[in-house]
Amino acid sequence: MSADPTAGAKRPGVPLIDGIEKVTGRARYTADLMHADALVGRIFRSPFSHGEIVRLDVSKARAVEGVAGIVTGTDCPHGYGVLPVAMNEYPLARGRVRYRGEPVAAVAAIDAKTAEQALELIEFEVRELPAYYTSEEARAPGAIPLHDDKPGNLEREVHHHFGDVSRGFAEADLVREERISCAEINHAQIEPHACLADYDPMSGRLTMQSVSQVGYYLHLMLARCLEMDTSRIRVVKPFIGGGFGARVEVLNFEIVTALLARAASGKVMMQLTREENFLTHRARPQTDIRLKLGMRRDGRITACDCEVVQRGGAYAGYGIVTILYAGALLQGLYDIPSIKYDGYRVYANLPPCGAMRGHGSVNTRHAFECLLDRMARDLGLDPFAVRRANLLRAPTRTLNDLMVNSYGLEECLERVESASKWRARIGKLPRGKGLGMACSHYVSGAAKPIHWTGEPHAAVNVRLDFDGGITALTGAADIGQGSSTMVAIAVAETLGVSIERVRVVAADSMVTPKDNGAYSSRITFMVGNAAIDAARKLKAILIEAAARKLEARPEDIECGEAFRVGHGAQSSLPFAEIVKEALVDRGPITVSGAFTCPPEAQGGKHRGGAVGSTMGFSYAAQVVEVDVDEATGVVRVDKVWAALDCGHAINPLAVEGQIEGSVWMGMGQALSEETRYVEGLPLHASLLEYRVPTSAESPAIEVQIVESHDPYGPFGAKEASEGALAGFPPALVNAVANAIGIDMDELPVTPDRIVEALVERRRRARLATAQRAAS
Amino acid sequence: MTLMPEFELARPRDVGEAIAARHEHAGSRFIAGGTDLLVQLRHGIDRPDVLIDLSAIEELGKITSGPGGARIGAGVSIAALARDATMAANYRAVKEAAEMIAAPGHRAMGTVGGNLCLDTRCIFYNQSEWWRRANGYCLKHRGDVCHVAPQGQRCHAAFAGDLAPALLALGAEVEIAGTKGRRRMPLGDLYVEDGRAHLTLSEHELVVAAHLPPDPPPSAYSKVCVRGAIDYPLAGVAVALGMNEGVVKSLQIALTGTNSRPFVLSGTDAMVGRPIDEAALQAIERLVQKQVQPMRTTNASAHYRRLAAAALARRLTAALGIGSRPDAAVSAVR
Amino acid sequence: MQTQSPRSRKRLLKLKLNGRWREDAVAENQLLVDYLRDVAGLTGVKTGCDGGECGACTVLVDGEAVPSCITLAARCHEQSVETIEGLIQQGRPNRLQRSFHEKLGAQCGFCTPGMIMAAEALLRRNPHPNDGEIRLALSGNLCRCTGYIKIIESVRTAAETPA
Ligand SMILES: Cc1cc2nc3c(=O)[nH]c(=O)nc-3n(C[C@H](O)[C@H](O)[C@H](O)COP(=O)(O)OP(=O)(O)OC[C@H]3O[C@@H](n4cnc5c(N)ncnc54)[C@H](O)[C@@H]3O)c2cc1C
Ligand code: SF4
Ligand code: FES
Ligand code: FES
Repeated sequence: MSADPTAGAKRPGVPLIDGIEKVTGRARYTADLMHADALVGRIFRSPFSHGEIVRLDVSKARAVEGVAGIVTGTDCPHGYGVLPVAMNEYPLARGRVRYRGEPVAAVAAIDAKTAEQALELIEFEVRELPAYYTSEEARAPGAIPLHDDKPGNLEREVHHHFGDVSRGFAEADLVREERISCAEINHAQIEPHACLADYDPMSGRLTMQSVSQVGYYLHLMLARCLEMDTSRIRVVKPFIGGGFGARVEVLNFEIVTALLARAASGKVMMQLTREENFLTHRARPQTDIRLKLGMRRDGRITACDCEVVQRGGAYAGYGIVTILYAGALLQGLYDIPSIKYDGYRVYANLPPCGAMRGHGSVNTRHAFECLLDRMARDLGLDPFAVRRANLLRAPTRTLNDLMVNSYGLEECLERVESASKWRARIGKLPRGKGLGMACSHYVSGAAKPIHWTGEPHAAVNVRLDFDGGITALTGAADIGQGSSTMVAIAVAETLGVSIERVRVVAADSMVTPKDNGAYSSRITFMVGNAAIDAARKLKAILIEAAARKLEARPEDIECGEAFRVGHGAQSSLPFAEIVKEALVDRGPITVSGAFTCPPEAQGGKHRGGAVGSTMGFSYAAQVVEVDVDEATGVVRVDKVWAALDCGHAINPLAVEGQIEGSVWMGMGQALSEETRYVEGLPLHASLLEYRVPTSAESPAIEVQIVESHDPYGPFGAKEASEGALAGFPPALVNAVANAIGIDMDELPVTPDRIVEALVERRRRARLATAQRAAS
Repeated sequence: MTLMPEFELARPRDVGEAIAARHEHAGSRFIAGGTDLLVQLRHGIDRPDVLIDLSAIEELGKITSGPGGARIGAGVSIAALARDATMAANYRAVKEAAEMIAAPGHRAMGTVGGNLCLDTRCIFYNQSEWWRRANGYCLKHRGDVCHVAPQGQRCHAAFAGDLAPALLALGAEVEIAGTKGRRRMPLGDLYVEDGRAHLTLSEHELVVAAHLPPDPPPSAYSKVCVRGAIDYPLAGVAVALGMNEGVVKSLQIALTGTNSRPFVLSGTDAMVGRPIDEAALQAIERLVQKQVQPMRTTNASAHYRRLAAAALARRLTAALGIGSRPDAAVSAVR
Repeated sequence: MQTQSPRSRKRLLKLKLNGRWREDAVAENQLLVDYLRDVAGLTGVKTGCDGGECGACTVLVDGEAVPSCITLAARCHEQSVETIEGLIQQGRPNRLQRSFHEKLGAQCGFCTPGMIMAAEALLRRNPHPNDGEIRLALSGNLCRCTGYIKIIESVRTAAETPA
């Protein structure tokens, strides 16, 4: 592969291998699967925030004609959860309900109407307990714990200290501290949750088709909750309409549907409403951050002291990982000599939070980049200069022992600085217009998987048979990010064959090898490497066959659609001929490729040190240009320039798409998205009130791909789907400050918040004048 | 949860049949574009046993104009209104308001009548049945307290249709048909300040058309909302300003999104004969701030909606006052 | 995905669906989206919200792009209804479908059918839209993957391709 940094932009991209199905409407998503013969599932949800279950009577519901099955908490005594150490949730509440919307019972009936009639007849009473909707209330002395083993409603506290922070602050020319908060947000993938469970009582087998990003977790949790042998379960992934982390954890409705299918001895289709999607939640928590930085006059950071409080909702979910990420990923972007981190993950009577694109890193990064800008201003430094003063030098290891082997941040900075004409324009824009910038990064997959088994981190099988078709089998879930296409390219490029020759079968536990799933941007790095490994093994077999046929030494053979000796065209054979030769004696070929992160990549030895560890970080910088209407508070984003170092763009088209999508998702968090509750009821549980940006106000985004060539990445590649997200909110807030001179401390920057901030500034100005007049 | 309730569908061919059908079925409702009503039915608000579909009534579907002004049939789609040449030429505020309603799909289906008769909105009301039940319902529907103002006895749900203020500012009248025949009245009289029952239509009446008087002054409409499309106005303002030799000849300002009804700002008569200068603009801002009554019925604060309404009124008046069309910044408000 | 009660009255719906006339008995309360998906089997029509908020269900009724989840099926009597499946001509995707594929206007693809139908209505009305017009025409169709950049590019490319 070429090391030319601009090559990524020049190489043509490959359209998705499953793109035609999507644009013609032929792609079958879960709700589109044939289910005329299926029962309809519906969930009875708690109307209470917090209470001990006193009575749950489903007998009247059961008596409704057409009801085929009802399940409650007594049908599943097993807790489940994504982290083996924190499985404190039941698919259907047992003993206690902890948030409004928590599943309590479920019905399978011959049609939706009957199912809903049955729900109406379920009798449910609780003895209400005090409920807490903010971190502060939940942590207050005397608050009763949501979970008996977690006093103070703390799911996890993290206290990490690297380097000497007090010395760092002492050496600083400027120390500044800020409090910044970020609202809770949601993935809002456009496809609502759905699954189809089919239980055959004769064979005792369960087939589950679901929207899961990680079929493997679902497989494990189904076996656990239904007390079934894993060999009797098959998990299949249909087309998936987006994930963004929403579907990494096993979700309660998936297990509930399986329980229903077994109870009804049949097939059950469950489709959640948009409101239920918001109740299922598992997204980015509301976060309060206190951040203190020390800086020398030249912009060099000397110390970082950061406290993060996340309101995690009623159950553990991913919480421990999220709060660890929030601290661990303070590192890996800049060279910071001392860091102190205190993290608190808090339980509250709200739908549980979970992983969302940029998991754990986004809100702390937001605070950090906002504060960097404010300190740059205090010191009279340019925002770019401050970032440049703190660059890492790869290869290196961070204070918390994360490896950095490739580092394209410097080039990202140059690219967006020049594309946006920053130097010529900063400070010279008319009132109301502003420029802001920020940097960000993200892991290319966690180097230590949550479910530690000792197996390789990724495995891909590649098959070749008489027809000459190459089939790659991967457990990795393509959720729209194009991972199947990436596998096809990796295999085709390694073998030198045309991509049309390669088919990909993905995520069906009956045929594809296990995969740890589509999260933390691990697929390209790990599955890509495994695919290359498998393709190399196949290549060796083919070359050996070609060597026999062409009577040449293997090392002189070139593999491809035609096999050649050296560069000469005189002796060449078509692919089909070589396949025939290769199949002689051995028959159809299946090879397995694997990838494992070496131990030195798996993070520090301190408690929680594995979180944040990765084979390589992506790096991003962006510049955002805004227009702030001071009368109405409306912030319009005029343009975004984003550069991301993805090591190497295996499919530049898809990389661009991922960068655009993640920058834009950052915009939603920055400007309009927010989940609010009254007494635990969501005020945002629709796509009207949860304001995903529309095409009307979404800006043009100019993307630059930077290729730093990671030594361990597949063809040098790293992740490209998440790294750019976290830079948008701070770049926007910095741009607003540049436009109207106000530092916004709260996300999202909605029109009302801007106007309130302007009102407050005028009030202070009046007060100051009055005081001056008085003195 | 989003199951459609059961109902029968009547498709009358003319207004008389529609009224008769409504008269016949006590639990019936008119449906025009259905872009609001069907959402409500899916949320379990209201369970009519008959829907009377107005879409096949030809009389409702036309815009006519002449020396006596313009008549907009209640069944005219929002999209057709936005494209209409007469609106573009003479009644800019109406065109601008129509262009800002919801999104293109809603505008293709939604109608003028449906927009004028839109139900009032509130974050405690526009929720699913499960949600409202878990919250103990509220005054507006099935319950006995208002969660916005628990002490009071009225509902503060806000009217958020975009067309009404534009038509109000231009002095429109509505034509209404009922069992007793037809009547015409100022559009403002269609509404009262009560979120639970904001329309003065009697049981069997329907809106047939809106009439705009001829020779209108220049006008404009703008609204604030978080996104560039889809969102209902947090506040929407229409201004019609006639100037004569540098001073105000007529000034009408109407608002939506802030109260339980769209209304015409009172006190603007005092501007007649004065130039649109800073003092006049400040006076307008004060009038708006005093007369709007936003309550906590949206996710944005009431205080903000008050300030934004005033800011829009000021901006539109200023833009019309200097004779130019509202500048780029104004359209950016959308 | 809703089932009708045997109690609700049915009426005969005659419509031209993707170019072919057909007749079905439909319940009077049936939504167009449910008719298309459950009766006609056109699952290319998607559902993304609880009513009128996302545009995933957009289809053409007499050439106008409308959300089928807040349209009654019975209302489409004697009208022409087109869905994403109907854009394929002799097995060949139309220009918008091709450009959405080639330019990556579809990532997860869930918003895509609605998005393409909204774009189709636009191009029939306005064959040479500028970017602003494209953005407005698609503003009721939410996409969570693309940031709309490549969607707009796809529509622009299709507009430059002869129909
Ligand atoms: C996501 C979303 C966003 C929206 N955003 C906006 C927005 O920004 N601005 C806005 O103004 N609206 C908005 N709407 C609401 C709606 O789309 C429009 O107001 C539309 O114009 C309503 O017209 P309709 O014909 O569809 O009304 P329908 O839903 O058919 O009717 C609405 C009400 O009016 C009654 N009605 C209808 N016609 C008559 C008549 N002739 N006489 C008496 N009563 C009648 C009905 O009985 C019903 O109570 C939005 C809707 C949705 C779903
Ligand atoms: S204002 Fe009060 S009574 Fe009216 S809808 Fe809202 S909560 Fe209900
Ligand atoms: S499904 Fe119709 S608009 Fe969302
Ligand atoms: S491509 Fe996934 S929602 Fe648009």
